[in-house]
Amino acid sequence: MDAGTIVAGLLTLAILSFLYRDNPVYKLAEYLLIGVSIGYILVITWNNTLMALLFEPLLSEGRLWLVAPLIMGLLMWGRFHRRTLALSRIPIGFMIGSGAGVAIPAMLYGRTLKQMSATVMPLTDSSGVPDLAAIVVIAGVLTTLAYFYFSREHRGAFGGVARVGTFFLMVFFGTTFGYTVMSRMSTFIGRMEFLLTDFLRLTH
Amino acid sequence: MRRLQARHYTFLGLAVVITVTMLLNIRLDTRVSPYTRALHDYIESLPPGSVLMVSFDHEASSLPEIRPIARSVLRHAFRKGHRLIGVSLLAEGTLIGYRLMQETAAEYGRQYGSDYVYLGFRPQYIAAILAMGESIRDTYPRDYLGRPYDQFELLRSVENYDDVAAVLSIADGSLTTHWMEYGQARYGVVVLGAVTAAMATTYDPYLASAQMHAMMAGLRGAAEYEKLIGIGGGGARGMLAQSSAHLYVILLIVLGNVAYFVRRREGRRD
Repeated sequence: MDAGTIVAGLLTLAILSFLYRDNPVYKLAEYLLIGVSIGYILVITWNNTLMALLFEPLLSEGRLWLVAPLIMGLLMWGRFHRRTLALSRIPIGFMIGSGAGVAIPAMLYGRTLKQMSATVMPLTDSSGVPDLAAIVVIAGVLTTLAYFYFSREHRGAFGGVARVGTFFLMVFFGTTFGYTVMSRMSTFIGRMEFLLTDFLRLTH
Repeated sequence: MRRLQARHYTFLGLAVVITVTMLLNIRLDTRVSPYTRALHDYIESLPPGSVLMVSFDHEASSLPEIRPIARSVLRHAFRKGHRLIGVSLLAEGTLIGYRLMQETAAEYGRQYGSDYVYLGFRPQYIAAILAMGESIRDTYPRDYLGRPYDQFELLRSVENYDDVAAVLSIADGSLTTHWMEYGQARYGVVVLGAVTAAMATTYDPYLASAQMHAMMAGLRGAAEYEKLIGIGGGGARGMLAQSSAHLYVILLIVLGNVAYFVRRREGRRD
């Protein structure tokens, strides 16, 4: 068994020990995870971002226009002092402005227009037979929208429609919760498989 | 030693259920869902040698679930003779993606540089997706190990998404959404998803609107995919444990509700 497997096995057990109660072994594993993660992200950021995209092209290849993002990046450090705080607003403003400019049309198209067009579909197929899926989708969208319409009291027929919307919401929440449980179980099963197969070698 | 509480018995029960079912080593037969089949059929339909971009958009913590998902689809792609370009839009997924590609490529004797290349991480995922739509070479002048882009036979013929058959986003969060909103909407690249189960309901509407071409989700998706390609893996191995764990959770929910109603009835009597 290699050292990596032993370390991974012991750390997995240390993390699982939290299920009994908080303890120093768990804390050690937790701090180790945080420290290693931050260290790893720092190294990746330094190598793959700062060196690869900024310093090497700027210093080795002479791409002088990269001075502009370098200055913008340096201005962000202005946040650490009261007198230079205003300078940091220049790159922040640039990021918010360009970010919003890129994101708003993309999100409007991808999350609203395309989803609306997928909702508006024929309620019957080509032979005139009702399409149950299409009916459920349109009923779900309209009744759920009714539930989130707060300019009118949810009473009478409108209240009934909004109440149907809550059932669709419940189905969504239930499905999402079910999938989340499934996901967490998968993670646990993955670790148990590692412990039983690679670490303890009880199964193949 | 403290007295064990109800939650301890709950955890212990779950650990026993999963350990016993895994030691039994029984493989459950899985019914393949249309979504997973669509993903399989798309990769199967591509001519050998097609270029696929695989984006490892996940963190290290989701590796136990991501690993069987990624391995099954990577095995299929390598077995079919497709050429893969690996990227990562989350720093934590970078090394995991590299190792997964390396391990799977070795199983099929695929060579780095001609059959697959790993380009690594780029920050600001939206900017990275948009930049690759213009030029992958400019976005990644070097590969993950620092070697120049044009050194690799595979990359010489790849300029942008026009030269890529599809992007497969292996994700544990919402990053696949950005591939659809920027890669698919703006550059028309086909987006495929291989995601954790928790994200399945997030991406369902995108499948319905055809913004995502196909998707496999969770350990179950991995088991289905393994069945389709006829190669056993972590998905199939974990399905009995997964099903047993779900039955255990259902049992706990039923017991919890019965206890609640019994207690409520007793409270009314008092």
